[in-house]
Order: sequence, then C-alpha cells, then structure tokens
Amino acid sequence: MTTLLPPRPPAAPDNPAKGRPVRAGRARLNRPGLAWTLPATIFFLLFAVVPLIAVVVLSFMTWTGLGDPKFVGLENWQTLAGDSVMLKSLWLSVLFIVLGVATQTPVSILLGVWASGPQRNRAVLSAIFFLPLLLSSAAISVLWRALLDPNFGVPAQLKWLFGDGNLFGHQSTAIGVIIFVGMWQFTPFHTLIYQGAAKSVPPVLYQAAEIDGAGRARQFFSITLPQLRNSIITSVILMVVGGLTTFETVLILTNGGPGTDTTITAFYMYEEAFRRYNFGMGSAIALVLVIVATAISLIMVKASGYDKMRSTMEGL
Amino acid sequence: MNKPSPRTPVLAAASMLAIGLTLAGCGGGDSAASDRPENELHVLVYGDASNDVETAMVEKFNETSDVKVVLDTIPGAEYQQKLQTVMSTDAAPDIFFNWGGGSISDFVDADLLMPLDDFIEEDPQLKDAFLPSVFDVATVDGTPYGVPMRGTQPVMLFHNKEVLAEAGIDEAPATWDELLEDVDKLKAAGKTPIALGGGDEWPTQMWFSYVYDRVAGPELFQSAIDGETDVWESDESKESLGMLRELVDAGAFGTNFQSVKFTDGGSPALLAGGQAGFELMGSWEYSTIQDTNPDFVANSLGWSAFPAIEGGKGDAANLVGNTNNYYSVLKDTKYPDAARDFLKLMYSDEFVQEQMSIGNLPTTTSTEQFLDQAADPDYARFQFGLVQDAPNFQLSWDQAYPPAATPTIHSAVADFFAGSIDEDGFIAAMQSLKK
Repeated sequence: MTTLLPPRPPAAPDNPAKGRPVRAGRARLNRPGLAWTLPATIFFLLFAVVPLIAVVVLSFMTWTGLGDPKFVGLENWQTLAGDSVMLKSLWLSVLFIVLGVATQTPVSILLGVWASGPQRNRAVLSAIFFLPLLLSSAAISVLWRALLDPNFGVPAQLKWLFGDGNLFGHQSTAIGVIIFVGMWQFTPFHTLIYQGAAKSVPPVLYQAAEIDGAGRARQFFSITLPQLRNSIITSVILMVVGGLTTFETVLILTNGGPGTDTTITAFYMYEEAFRRYNFGMGSAIALVLVIVATAISLIMVKASGYDKMRSTMEGL
Repeated sequence: MNKPSPRTPVLAAASMLAIGLTLAGCGGGDSAASDRPENELHVLVYGDASNDVETAMVEKFNETSDVKVVLDTIPGAEYQQKLQTVMSTDAAPDIFFNWGGGSISDFVDADLLMPLDDFIEEDPQLKDAFLPSVFDVATVDGTPYGVPMRGTQPVMLFHNKEVLAEAGIDEAPATWDELLEDVDKLKAAGKTPIALGGGDEWPTQMWFSYVYDRVAGPELFQSAIDGETDVWESDESKESLGMLRELVDAGAFGTNFQSVKFTDGGSPALLAGGQAGFELMGSWEYSTIQDTNPDFVANSLGWSAFPAIEGGKGDAANLVGNTNNYYSVLKDTKYPDAARDFLKLMYSDEFVQEQMSIGNLPTTTSTEQFLDQAADPDYARFQFGLVQDAPNFQLSWDQAYPPAATPTIHSAVADFFAGSIDEDGFIAAMQSLKK
C-alpha cells in the first residue's frame, strides 16, 4: 500500500505566532489519483446505485416476496398517481421537515453558541446535553411513548396541560409529539455543529465590535450569525434529508396514525412493502422519495450558494 | 466534479449485471432444497415466554434423532413480516409457527407448503389427537397444512372484581344490555368502564369480531372472506356497527383509548390497577398480568364469555380469537421423516403437560385429563369448556384474511372507533379487501 502513496508535500512549518497553520494547498502539486476514490466508489455502487436501480426495476413489477416478480408495466405508477394517501404523505413529509427545521435550528444555534464559550460549567453541561445522541431512535421513541402514556405517564400528572392525554388520537398533537421527540433527539447533534463553528469565529471580530460599542445582541446578529452561515446550510440540509427518511419515530410513536394522519412518505413506503407485501408499490413510493429528496437538496444547494462554498472568513 | 466520468459505461454495465444477479436471487424457489443445511431441521417460532417449553422439546427430540432440530425465534410483532420475506429463500425454515387460515394461504398458493395427508395416513394421530374444530383452521381447500402446537387463545371479557363491586355490579354481564348498564354504573363510579389498547388497533378489532358474530352469526364473515363483499352492506352488518357506535358514544372506553396500548402494558395496567372495570382480551391476558401483578390475578381477576346479544343470529357460545397456533412444513424440506417425527411430539402427554404448566391450553383430545395440573386449574377448565362447547370458533379477522389485508382491517376498526369514518366508510374499507 505504501508504494501507492503520492509524494507527500513537505510538512508545513509551524507558525505558533500566527495561531493558524500555513495553508498547504499550493505545495500539493500532485493531486491524489482517481484510484483513491475506488473504495468509496465501490461502496457507493454496491450500497446505493445497485439497490436504486433494483428499486427502479421493481417499481414496474408486482411482487409479494413469494415466488417470482412479474412485470406489470406502469400499473404501480398509475395507482400511485391517483392515491390520496401518497399525496397526503408528501405534504406531511414536507410539513415535518419545515416544523423540524423551524424548531431545531433556533434552539441548536443558541445552545451551540452558548456552549462554545470557554467557561468550564458550559463544557460539563453540554456534555450532558449530548446524551440523547448516544441513544438509538428506537429506544428514544419507546421511552417517549411510555413517558406520554395518558394514564401512567406525564399527561396523567399534568391534566391542566394535556387534558385527557389523548396525544396520539388527534393529528395535531400526534404531529406535535413526533416533532418534539425529533427535536429532543437531534438538537444535540446540530448543537455540536454550531458549537464547533462558533468556536472558530476569530476573536478579533468580537474585539473590534466591542471597540465599536456593539452589545452582545448586536455581536450575535452581526458577527456570529453571518459567520455561521455555511454551518446553518449544512445543518439544515442534514435536517431535511434526515426528516425525509424519518421512520422509526413514526413507526413506534404513532404507527402512522391516527388513521393516516402521520403517515409520511417513508412510513407509507414501509407499510406498502412490508405490511401489504406489495414490494412493487413500495419501490415506486421509494423512488418518489428519492426524486423529491434530490430535488429539495438541489434547490437548497443552488438557492443558498452552498455549491460555491464561499468562505465566511475572506479578508482575514 | 461536473465533467462526465469516462468510466460511466463500465459502471452502468456493472450495475446491470449486479441487478440481474439480484433479481435472479429473488426467484430461487425451485432450487431451494439444494442449498439447505445438512442434517439440520430448522424450526421457526414466534419468540416469547413459551419458547422455554419448545427448547425443552427440541432437546428431547435431538437426543434420539440423527437430524438435529435447530430452534430459531423471531420476537413479537415482526414475525409475519420476517416470515414472508424469508419463505422463498434458502433460509426458509423447515417447520414454522403460524396461525392457520390466512396466515398460510399465500404460502399454499405459492406452492411452498407440504400437504400433510401422507403424514396423517402414516400416523392418523396427527389429526385424530386434536379437537376437530381446531385442526380444521389450518386446512386450506380441504387439504391439511398444519398441526396444532402451543394452545388455544379464545378472547374473553376480563374484569376487576373489586372495581365491579365498588360500582355495585354483582357479576359479569351475560347480555349486551347488562354490559351497557354496567358501563353506566362504572362511569358513575368514576372509572373507565372498559380498558382498550386502541393504539395497537387489534384489540379494537376483537369488539367487531364478537359483535358481528353475535348479531349476524359466523356466516357473515365467512361469506365476506369467500369474496361476497356485499354482506358488509347487509342489515346485520349495519346493526352491528350501530351497536358498536352506541358503546363508544356511551363512553365505554373513555376518551383517550387511542393513546393506550396493550403491548406496552398500558391497558392491562388500567384493569389491574383498578382504573378500569373490564378488558376484552385474548387468554394471554392472564399470563401478561401474572408477570407484573400476581396478587391481582390470584385475588381480583375475573373472566367471563362475551355477552349474548338478544335477537342476534349468532350462538352466544361462539368464540372469537386465535383458534390455535400451528406448525406447517416446507415442501422443500430435506428431512420430511424427521419433520413428521417432530410433529408427533405435539400430541404427546409430555408436551401437553409442559404447555399447561406455563398456562397454555393445548387442544388435544387428551387435554381434559390434565386440566387439574394446569397453572390455574379453574382458568384452564373454564377456557377448555368454552372451546369444547363452542359451535364456532372464529379466527381473528386479521388472521383469517391473508396478512396483506391487516393494515386495512386495523385502520378500519380504529378509525370507526375514533369516529373519523362512519358506517359507510367502514363498509367501503372492508369491501376493498380481496380474498
């Protein structure tokens, strides 16, 4: 393996006075060869492209999991086009994403910026805040389902707030529970992103702002937020993609109900494929999900200028 | 990044090849036997507390057999899904647990199961040792495909004796009208009259199965499952729905039953904790509560048959539930003789006694003589009496239809109880089911 290594650039000389390593990009004349992408390419082909193409093929077939799949042409797609649940599930998916981003982003920016401070208690507390990250989605969902039991959970103690506690019996409260649990679960992760980004904001900016007489709020809105721009885009894209593929939370908390009121597209795909044993239909729904997710990601990348990857540190 | 890669055609070709291989792998049903394990007979069962007995039986069998039985378990709710995806592959079990009826009809249609006629001809006990009404549930189009194992699980109306006494109710309701009166009394006493795990949906279905059976007799559902979907629009069907609506509107299940589950212990805890008077549940209610609250089971748990409905066509002794569990055999099994010998254990005295000791109620003709050795003889005798005397034992709706129908049935019953669909919505949903 070692013989394959490209010639290493000379080690960048340390320059402690400047506090930042000298950029080594210019010295790297030989960019790594295409061979280096091979492991990633093989993985991507095996676990993304091949299954994706198989899903395309299956979406034109009918298959119950028993016997051989049969080609049925466009039948699945025609059914899907006239399927009210499919359309509803797409709207619900979008709603879940919007609500998820709207709730998680402000909280995690505030927490992340707060946690990036040098104080020791902040480090200890943020370590505790990160605990939900260590739990699996399934465990979290089971936990909250038990905590929200109408007769033995929190709602039984706080009747003034929860009424009869029928949280899973109405669309609005069922969605609320899923959004809340998603927020509890994923905020720590995004906080981590913002914490790292906020830490790398050069202190000189704040020092200059203080000299100019800017208060803490002004500093936050005029320096921190603009400096977090790329992190916000990254974090939101991750939330959107994560939101589109949310599944376990819905399965365990609401099972898509009441009725189909929380049946988001990913859950609908599971229900068609693994509960109705209609793998062709499930594949068609999966493809719709892929197309929608790709479209949303592309639009976001274009609209946010993320593809140009402009540094927020220009001029420093 | 944006330049088209020169490798694209190669990649595309490679992917197509891979897909070809994948799809070829999907349809390997014909050649399954060739790759099946040597000298092993895989038995797949539903993973739960009963597995101890099964492990013991397997060990006993392996002592004398050259072909070793390997017991595989899949826990709980995902059993049918896993089974469906594994059945036409080389990993399919030689013998597997099922509920008879619709749970195996797709496998029969796909020609995956071994008809048991030959086994029965060699050893008539494989059929004659079981109660006929139970054995017949695993018969598809006149051909037997399953041998009863574990026990029968009729659905009964359980009650909390103390709560009923507190509300001034002397005994379990014998008729529907008495049930409605009891609901009012329990409400007046500040209780949830009937605990219902509506979040799981299948407990809700039990109410439909029983009311339909009492009002219209078992014929209505049988016709429906045979493809005559008109019956859902019949007067009896509408009358049943009207009675169920009346019960829900009377507040029999409280207001938050959609958020309560049986599977996480919610609804049995309402009954055992004295917050509810009744719960309609399968016979496993007993062992479920026994696990968490043995004192309650010993002192205050009561049970009765589902109330009679005056003027209904169905016999008040009819039962609903999981008639039994069955073992079916894969057609491609390498060791049919070992499979037959293993199935013979299912009517052995030892098996029956072991099952009874953990609270299951096997349906062999010999069960009666062992009733006194059951974990709770009163409970065992009551259940056995119900099963023996029942003119008809209706398999749970979601087990009687093929598994693909389950989501539709479950949503229909849950939505009807929630009030989000009316009679016509329910009828339309049930009519959408294909056989």
